[in-house]
Amino acid sequence: MGAELNRRSFLVVAGLLGLAACGSDTGREGSAAGTLRHWYHAYGEDGVQDAVRRYAAAYPGAKVEVQWNPGDYDSKIVTALQNSAVPDVFEAQLKVDWVRQKQVVPLDDLLGDTRDDFVRTLLDSQTVDGKLYGIPQAIDTQILYYRPSLLEKAGVTPPKTLDELVEAVKRLDTGSVRGLFAGNDGGVAVLTGPLLWSAGLDFLSRDGKAPGFDDARAAMVFGKLRELNQGGLLLGSPTDWSDPGAFVNGLAAMQWTGLWNLPKITAALGGDVGVLPFPRLDMAGDESVPVGAYSAMVNARSADVAAAKAYVKWLWVEKTDYQTEFATAFGAHLPARQSLAAKTAQNGPGREVVEFVTRSGRIAAPARWSSRANLALSDAVSRIAREGADAAGELGTALDVARDEIARLDR
Amino acid sequence: MRRSARTFWLFVGPFVAGLLVFTYVPIGWSTYLSFFDAHNTVAPTDFVGLANYVDVLTDGEFLGSVSTFTVFAAFIIPTTTALALALALLVNRIRFARTFFRSVFFLPFACSYVVASLVWKMSLFSGVDSGVVNTVFGWFGGEPQAWIGTVDPPLYWVVLVTVRLWLQLGFYMILFIAALQRIPGNLYEAAWIDGASPRQAFRHITLPGLRGTLIAVLTLNLINAYQAFDEFYNILGDSRGYPPFARPPLVYLYYTSLGSGGQDLGRGSAGAVVLALVIALVTLLTGRVFRRSQ
Amino acid sequence: MRALRWFALSVGAVVFLLPFAVLVRDGVGGWSEVFSDREIPLVRSLLNSTVVAVGQTVGQVVLCALAGYGLARVPYRHASVVLYAIVATLMVPTAVTFLPSFVVVSSLGWLSDLRGLIVPGLFSALNVFLFRQYFQDFPTPLEEAGRLDGLTVWGVYWRVVVPNSRGFVAAIAVIDFIGSWNQFLWPLIIAQDSSTWTVQVALSSLLTAQNPRITLLFAAATVSILPIVLIFVVLQRYLVRGVTETGLTGQ
Repeated sequence: MGAELNRRSFLVVAGLLGLAACGSDTGREGSAAGTLRHWYHAYGEDGVQDAVRRYAAAYPGAKVEVQWNPGDYDSKIVTALQNSAVPDVFEAQLKVDWVRQKQVVPLDDLLGDTRDDFVRTLLDSQTVDGKLYGIPQAIDTQILYYRPSLLEKAGVTPPKTLDELVEAVKRLDTGSVRGLFAGNDGGVAVLTGPLLWSAGLDFLSRDGKAPGFDDARAAMVFGKLRELNQGGLLLGSPTDWSDPGAFVNGLAAMQWTGLWNLPKITAALGGDVGVLPFPRLDMAGDESVPVGAYSAMVNARSADVAAAKAYVKWLWVEKTDYQTEFATAFGAHLPARQSLAAKTAQNGPGREVVEFVTRSGRIAAPARWSSRANLALSDAVSRIAREGADAAGELGTALDVARDEIARLDR
Repeated sequence: MRRSARTFWLFVGPFVAGLLVFTYVPIGWSTYLSFFDAHNTVAPTDFVGLANYVDVLTDGEFLGSVSTFTVFAAFIIPTTTALALALALLVNRIRFARTFFRSVFFLPFACSYVVASLVWKMSLFSGVDSGVVNTVFGWFGGEPQAWIGTVDPPLYWVVLVTVRLWLQLGFYMILFIAALQRIPGNLYEAAWIDGASPRQAFRHITLPGLRGTLIAVLTLNLINAYQAFDEFYNILGDSRGYPPFARPPLVYLYYTSLGSGGQDLGRGSAGAVVLALVIALVTLLTGRVFRRSQ
Repeated sequence: MRALRWFALSVGAVVFLLPFAVLVRDGVGGWSEVFSDREIPLVRSLLNSTVVAVGQTVGQVVLCALAGYGLARVPYRHASVVLYAIVATLMVPTAVTFLPSFVVVSSLGWLSDLRGLIVPGLFSALNVFLFRQYFQDFPTPLEEAGRLDGLTVWGVYWRVVVPNSRGFVAAIAVIDFIGSWNQFLWPLIIAQDSSTWTVQVALSSLLTAQNPRITLLFAAATVSILPIVLIFVVLQRYLVRGVTETGLTGQ
C-alpha cells in the first residue's frame, strides 16, 4: 500500500516537474525531454548490461536510457559533471569535490526506514558532512585466488604474511606458469591499498585530516611490491586483473581479482580453488580485502533532479528483487543490504569471502581521498615497483600532494 | 569607402566573429582562470594570484613531461625528416610504379591515430607470443617481450616511435616530392656535364632546393611533437587512467583539468599558458639557429 | 645501386602495408556482429562522424574562403590589422587551446552536443591564410569581366571566383574532411554521452576498456577507415595538392 501511494504521489510530482522541464532547454539532442540518462561503467560480467537495461525499461515513471561506458569511466564522470546535464543518474564512488562544487545532490530522503538495513560502512563511505550522496548498489571486493594443487606441487603453503607471498610467487613461477597475476601494471592499481593496510597504514589518517602513510613502513611495504615485480609476476597478459582469464587459462598460479569472478573460476577449475585475503606485513598490520561500492548518484545539473531521485529511489531502494539479482546473478557480489545478504547465503569459497569482508574489509576509495592525491600515490608506487625508484623520495612527493589536497578540501 | 568597408565585413565578419568567440575569448578566459582556484568550475571566485603557476612550475610531473617531450622532439624530428626525405628521393628517382609506391607510403595518412594505436597495441606489439613483432622475433631466436608493459628498459618507446613514424612519414614525403619536382631538371644536367658526382649534385642542388620545405617540415614536426596525445592516450592509457611514464604535456593537462587527476581548471590553464610559451620559445630558437646557418 | 633502390622500396612497401593487413586479418571474425553489437554503437557513431566531418568541412570551406577572398580582394583601411589578428592565432598551437575552448563550450551548454563538436572547429586561421594566398593569385581579368557584366563584388565572388576555384576548394576540403574524421582529443572531451560519440571516441573507449573485445574492435576499426580510403582512391589528386598547400605554409 505504502509503495503504491509513494508511486502515485511521485508520479504527480514527476509530471509537474516534467512539464516544467519541457519549458527549459536541456541543451542536448537525441533524447526526448523527460528522458533520464543513466550511466554505468562497463561491468565485465556477462548479462549485467542486459539486466540494467531491463530495469530501466521497467521503470514506470519516465523513459530511462542506459549508457554503458567502457574505458576510463572516472575521468568521464568528472568531465561530465563540470557543466553537463548528462547523465541524470550515474554510478560512482563519491568524491568530496563533487559535494563542494554542488555537482551531486543529497539523497538522505530516499532511504526512509531502510537506512538501517544498508551496511553501515558503505553508507559512511558515501557520506560527506552528514549527508548521503550515493545509494550503495552492491558490495564489490577483491581477493587472492590460488590453485591448491599448484601450491602443493611447489611445496608452498597459502601465504599468511607478505614475505610468504613474495616467496611463494618466486617458487610458483615455472616460466610458462607465473606465480601471481595482479594486473598488467604489476599490481600498482589494485594492490596499493592492501599493501598500505598490510603495514597498518592507510590512505588517510583515522580522522581524515592527514595522509595515512607518512611512515617509514610505507617505503618498506612498497619495496615488497618491487620484489614481486622483479620476478614471478605475470605481465603482458591479454586480459587484465579484472578478468579471470589469466588464472583460468593457467597462466598464473595465483591471481588477485574480484569476487565477481568466483562463478567463472569455480566453473573452470572445480574444487581446485582457494581464496585468501591480502596478507599482513607483520603483526602491526592487518590482512585485508578492499571493499568498494559503486553507488547511484544524481547529477545536480540534471534537467529534472526530482525525477532522477525518484528513479534512484525506485531502483535502488524499493526494487529489492532487482537489487538482489544485480548483486548475485552475474558473478558474485554481495548485496549492500543486510536483509538481502541474509537471503543469499553462500557456501564454499563464497562464504569465506563474506567472513573476510566482515572481519577485514577496508574502504577502497574514501570520499576525502581526492583523485589528485590518488594519482600522485599511484604514480609513486608505480615508479617504486616498476622502475625501482627511491621509495622514500617518491613517497615524499606523494605525501606533499596529499597534504595539499587535504588542506584544500578543508579551506 | 563605407561601402567597401561593409563589403569587407560581409566577407570577413562571420569568420572573425567566430574566431573571437572560439579562440580569443577562450584564451582570455583561460588566462583568467589560471589566477584562480578553479576546481571543477569555470566561474571561480577564489583569486590565488600566481599560486597555480608556482604549482605547475614546481610540479615534477609537469616539468618531467615537458623535458621528456623535448627529448622526444629532439629524437623524432630529425628521424622523421631524414626518413621522409629518403623515401621521397627513392620514390622520385624511379620511373616505373612511382604512383604505386607514393600511394603506399602515403596511405597511413588515411588512418586515424586511434586505429593505428589499436593495431600497434593489440596486434603488432601485443605482449603475447603470437604478437606480430614477437613472432618475427621468434624466427630469429628472440624472446617474446611485453612491449608495452616493460618499463625497465622502456620498450614502450619502440611502440610509440614506430607508430608515429608510420603515420607521419607519408605526409612529409609528399611535401618533399613536391619540392623535388620544383627543382629545375636542367640544373642537374648542367652539373652532370660539369662532371659533378651524384653526392655533389645532392649537396649543391637538391639540398638548397629543399631548404624552404625542410624548414616547413621541421616546424610542423616540432609543433606536432609537443602536441602528442592521441597515440599515447590510446596505447598507454586504460580504464585505470595513465601510467606515470611517457606522459605528454597534453596528457598531463587533460588529466589535471578534466580527467581523474584532480579536475583543476586553474592549474590546467596555467599549464596550458606555460606550454604555449615553451612551444613559442623552442620554435623561435630553432628559427634563429636556421637563420644563422644560412 | 638500382637493385638496392628497388629492394629498399619493396621492403618499405611491405612494412607500410603490414598494419593494414593485420587490421583486416584480425577483424574478420567480427564482421557479422560489428553493426549489431550494442557495446560499440558503431552505426550511431559513424553517423555522428559523418555529420561532424561534413558539417565541419562545408562550414570551414565556406567561412574561410569568404574571409580569404575579403582579405585578398576587398580594399579596407584596417585589413592588415585584421589579417594580423587572424594569423597571430596560428602561433598558438591548437592543442594548447583545447582546455580554454572546453571552458567556453561547456559554458554554452554544448557538452555532449553536436554543435559543440562542429562549431568551434570551423574557424581555421590556416585555411583563411591559404585561401587569401590563392585568391591573391587569382586572374583579375576574369573578375573584371564579371564586374563589366554588372555584378557586385559579392556576385563576382559567387558567380565567377568560386566556380573557377573548384580544384583548390576540393584540395582544402579533402584535407579538412580527413582531419575532421580522424580528430580525437576534441570529441573525446566534448562527446561525453554515447549518443554523440564519433567513431574515433567509440573505438578509443573500447580500446582502453578493461577487457577489450579485440576481434570486434578490429572489425569496427576497419569499417571506420573505409570512407577515408575511398577518398584516397577517388580523390588522391586533390589530396596530394591539399597536403602540398597546407604543408608549405611553414615557409
